[in-house]
Amino acid sequence: MQVRSSRGTCKGTSLSALASRHRGCLSYLMALVVLGALIGTPLLYPQSSPTEYQVKAAYLYNFGKFVEWPTGVTASESSFNICVLGQDPFSSTFGTTIAGESIKGKNVLIKRIPRAQDAVGCHILFVSSSEEARLKEILAALDKTSVLTVSDMPQFTRRGGMIQFVTEANRVRFEVNLTNAERTGLTLSSQLLKVAISVRKSS
Amino acid sequence: MLRGRDSSITKRLTRMNILVSGAALLIAGAAFVGYDWVSFREAMVHNLSIQAQIAGSNSVSALLFNDPQSAENTLSALKAAPNIVSAGIYTLDGQPFATYSRDATGHLLTLPAIPPGQIEGHGFKDGQLVVVRKIVFEGKPTSIVYIRSDLNEMNHRLKRYAVIAAIVLAASLIAALLVASIFQRAVAEPIVHLAEIARIVSSDKNYSLRATPTGNRDEPDILIHAFNDMLSQIQQRDDALRDAHRELEERVEARTAQLAAANKELERQNREVERATQLKSQFLASMSHELRTPLNAIIGFSDLLAEKIAGQLTDKQERFVGHVRDGARHLLQLINDILDLSKIESGLLELRRETFSVSEAMPEVLSVIRPLAMAKKIRIEDAEETFSVSADRVRFKQILYNLLSNALKFTPEGGRVRVEGSSNGSLVCISVSDTGVGIRPEDQQLIFEEFRQAGETTRGVKEGTGLGLAITKRLVERQGGTIRVTSELGKGSCFSFTLPAGRAASQVQPEISPKACAVDPLEEGRKPLVLVVDDEPPARELLASYLEGEGYTVTTVGSGAEAVEKACQLRPDAITLDILMPGGSGFGTLSELKKTAETAHIPIIVVSVVDQKEMAFTLGAADYLVKPVQKSVLLAALRKHLRTTSGPANNILVVDDDSETLDVVSETLRSVGYTPHAISSGQEALELLSKVHMDAILLDLMMPEMDGFEVLRKIKDSPELSEIPVFVLTAKDLTETESRLLKQEVHALFRKDTSWKADLLAQLRKAVGKPALAKSVGQS
Repeated sequence: MQVRSSRGTCKGTSLSALASRHRGCLSYLMALVVLGALIGTPLLYPQSSPTEYQVKAAYLYNFGKFVEWPTGVTASESSFNICVLGQDPFSSTFGTTIAGESIKGKNVLIKRIPRAQDAVGCHILFVSSSEEARLKEILAALDKTSVLTVSDMPQFTRRGGMIQFVTEANRVRFEVNLTNAERTGLTLSSQLLKVAISVRKSS
Repeated sequence: MLRGRDSSITKRLTRMNILVSGAALLIAGAAFVGYDWVSFREAMVHNLSIQAQIAGSNSVSALLFNDPQSAENTLSALKAAPNIVSAGIYTLDGQPFATYSRDATGHLLTLPAIPPGQIEGHGFKDGQLVVVRKIVFEGKPTSIVYIRSDLNEMNHRLKRYAVIAAIVLAASLIAALLVASIFQRAVAEPIVHLAEIARIVSSDKNYSLRATPTGNRDEPDILIHAFNDMLSQIQQRDDALRDAHRELEERVEARTAQLAAANKELERQNREVERATQLKSQFLASMSHELRTPLNAIIGFSDLLAEKIAGQLTDKQERFVGHVRDGARHLLQLINDILDLSKIESGLLELRRETFSVSEAMPEVLSVIRPLAMAKKIRIEDAEETFSVSADRVRFKQILYNLLSNALKFTPEGGRVRVEGSSNGSLVCISVSDTGVGIRPEDQQLIFEEFRQAGETTRGVKEGTGLGLAITKRLVERQGGTIRVTSELGKGSCFSFTLPAGRAASQVQPEISPKACAVDPLEEGRKPLVLVVDDEPPARELLASYLEGEGYTVTTVGSGAEAVEKACQLRPDAITLDILMPGGSGFGTLSELKKTAETAHIPIIVVSVVDQKEMAFTLGAADYLVKPVQKSVLLAALRKHLRTTSGPANNILVVDDDSETLDVVSETLRSVGYTPHAISSGQEALELLSKVHMDAILLDLMMPEMDGFEVLRKIKDSPELSEIPVFVLTAKDLTETESRLLKQEVHALFRKDTSWKADLLAQLRKAVGKPALAKSVGQS
C-alpha cells in the first residue's frame, strides 16, 4: 500500500510527510522530539506531542539513512520499502509521518505484509509485537535476506533481531545487535551505533 | 679629506637610503602581514567551518534519534582545539540541542545570520570568531552548528609577525646603511671631495689645486675633470693677468721715468724760457733807455731852440727846428708804441689795476686833446660821466687818448668828435664817435692790426705810427674788455670799448671837505684873496662862486691889462688866468705878471680851454687847469699853491750818466731860474750832497756803478738828506715793485719818453718854491 500525501495533507498538527525541500511534518515532529530532549525532562508528550508510534515511525525512517544494504534484491527495488509485519501499531501514523519522503533517492513505500515470506524486497521490516510467538520462524524465513529487522518486543535483539525499540523514561531509544545485522550483509553506520543504548555483538 | 660624515650630501644619501628601504620594508611587511591576517582569518573560518561540519555531521544521528548526550559527546571532542571557546548544535528552528563550552561559560545567545542561499556564515565579534553552519544530511538540512573561537592564535601570530617584521626591518635598515655607506663612498665622496677643493680654491685663491678624479667614467668624474679644466683655465688667465699687470707696472715705471726726465727737461726749458724772458725784458728796458735817451736830447734841445732860449732864429732855422722836433716826437711816439706793443705781446706789460672815476681821467685826456682839436676847428663834445672803472689809470688814459687822437686825425676841419660813456653796473662802455671819413667795412677789422692804416687812399691822411689802435685793442682786451668799431664810409666812425666797472664808492674820492679848505690858508683869520681873470662873465662868475663858497675872497677882472693892474694893487694870494682872451693872450699877461717884482711870487693858475701847459709852465704858471674845470680840482690846486712857502730855492742837483740829458735838464732848469748842479754819477752826487745844500734832487735811475735806487736809498738813510725832495727822471720801464718803492720815497717821477719838462717844472715849483726871479732873469 502506497501512501502518498500531497502538501494539502500536511496541515495543522497532522504528521504528513514533507516535501523534499520544505520543512515537512516530519521535521515538525522531529522538532518536537528535539524540544523534548532539550528540556531534559523524561520524554513527555503533551497533547500536541507526537505519540510513541509517531516517534517510532520517524525512527524507522531514520534507520534507513544510517544503514547500507548489500547489492541484491533490495537494492534492485525501485522504491524504499518499509514493511510492517503483524498487527500494525502505527495505524495511520505512517501516512502522516513519512509519506512522500525518500531515502537514498527512492520514494518510501509502506507495506503491510501478512507473512514473513512476503518480506522479500523490504528494506526495513517492523515486526509487530503481535508476532512475538512466531518470531523464530519469521527470523528464519528472513535468514538469507538483507532486511533490517526492527521490533519493540522485549528481547528482540537477543533472539536474533537487529534493532529493538526500548522506552526509557518516556524516551524512545533502541538497542542494536550488530552481529545479526552484519550477518545479513547490512552495514550499520557508526553514527547509528553511537546513539544506540547498547550494541550487542554476539559471536 | 673625507668629511663625508658631516657633509650634507652624505646625510641626504643616508637618509634617502633609510627612507627608501624603510618605506619598502614597511609596505612589504604591511602587505605580508595584511595578507597573512586575511588568509589566516580565512583559514580560521575554513577550519572552524570544517570542525562545525564534522561536529554537525557526527551529531546528525544524535539529532535524528534525539540523543543530546551523544551530540554533546561529539562536541566535547572540540576540546582538542584550545582556541574554541564554545560550540553548539541548534535545531533548524533555532532551539539549542547540544552545547559545548571550553570553560563552561559564555554561551552565545545571538548567532550570526547565514546569508540566504548559503549554508554557512561567520562573524568576528568581540575578539572572537563565530562560524555557523547548516548541517545537511541526505540532502536535507538537519541542524545548525555554531563554533565560537577566540583569536588568540591569530593575535599571537600577528604579534610574532610584528616582532619578526621589526627584526627584519631593523636588520634591513642596518644592511641598507651598510650598502648606503658603500654607495656613498662611490657617489658622495667625489662630490664631497670636489666641494672641499672648490671651497679651498675659493677661499685661498690657489688655482693650482686639482681635484682627484675617481677613475670611473661616471658623472662625478666628468664633473671633476670639467672642474679641473676650469681651474686650469682660470690659472692660465690668472697668470696672464699677472703678467699683464707686471708688464703694465713696468711700463708705468718706464713711463714715470720718462716723465721725470721730460719734467726735468721741461724745467730746464722753463728756466731757459725764464732766462730768455728776463733777457728780453732787460733788452726791452735797455732798448727803451738807449733809444729814448738820445731822442730826449734831440727833443729837449730842439725845444730849447724853438723857444729861442739859445738866441733868435731865422724863419728858416725855426722851421727846420720845428721839423726836427716834430720828427723826433713822431719817432719817440713810434718807439713808445713799439715798446708797448712788444711788452704786451711778450706778456711783460704790467697793469696796475685800480678803481677810479671816469670823470677824473677824462679831463686829463681832454686837456691834451682840446688844443689839437682847436687847431683843426673840431668841436669836442663830452658828457660828465659819474661812473667808475676798474683799470690801469695810465693805460685807460692811453686808450682814451689813442681813440680821441685817432678821431681827430681822420676828422676834417670843422668836424665833430663826441665822447660818451655808459655803465650797466658790471661793464663800463665808452664810445668815441667822429664825423670823419669813415672806414670801409672790409677794413674795419684790419685797422686793429699792427702797421695797418686802413685805406690810405681813402683817408688821404698819413700820420701816426699805425700802432695806436693795435695797442688800444690789446690794452682793452688785457684789462678784460672788448673794443669794436662801427663806421659808414664818408659819414664817420664810432669806436666803443668796454672795461669792467669799478665799485661805486670810489666816485666820491676826489671831493674835498669844505671845512678842510677853510682852515688851509696860511694866516689864520684872513681870507685868502684870489684874482680871477677871465673875459667871459659867466666863467668868471662860476669860478668866483666856486671860491667864495669855500672861504676865499674873490676879485674878478675881464682882461689881461686889468689883471696886471689889480695884481699890483691888491697883491692877491693867487691868480686864475684865462689864456684865450680878446685883446691879448693870457700868456702875455702871465709873462708880465711874472716879470713884475711885486707880482712875481703870486702863484698863477691857468684855467683855459686850450692845453698849453708847457708854455704856461715855462712862463712861470703854478698850475694849469683845462676848462671846464671841476670845483674840486680848482680848490685842490689853490690849496696846494697857497701852502707852498716861497724862499730861495735854487740849488737843484741833477744826476744823470748821460751828458746830453744833463745838459737839457740843466738848461731847462736854468731857463726858469734854478741853479742846476749837473753830476754824472751817483758817487759824485753823494759827495756833493755832503758839501753843498741842495733844495731838490733830480735823479736818473739807470747809471753805471751806483744806480739811482742806491743813491736814493743812501739819501733817504741819511738824516741830513732825507728831507730833500727827490725827483726821478728816467727812461727805464719800471716794474711794479720799483714804482711802488719810488712812490713812497720820491716826490715825483718823470719819464723821458713823455713831455716831462712842464710837469717837472710844475712839481719843482710845488716842492721847493719858485726860483728867485732876479736869478732867473739873470740866468736867461
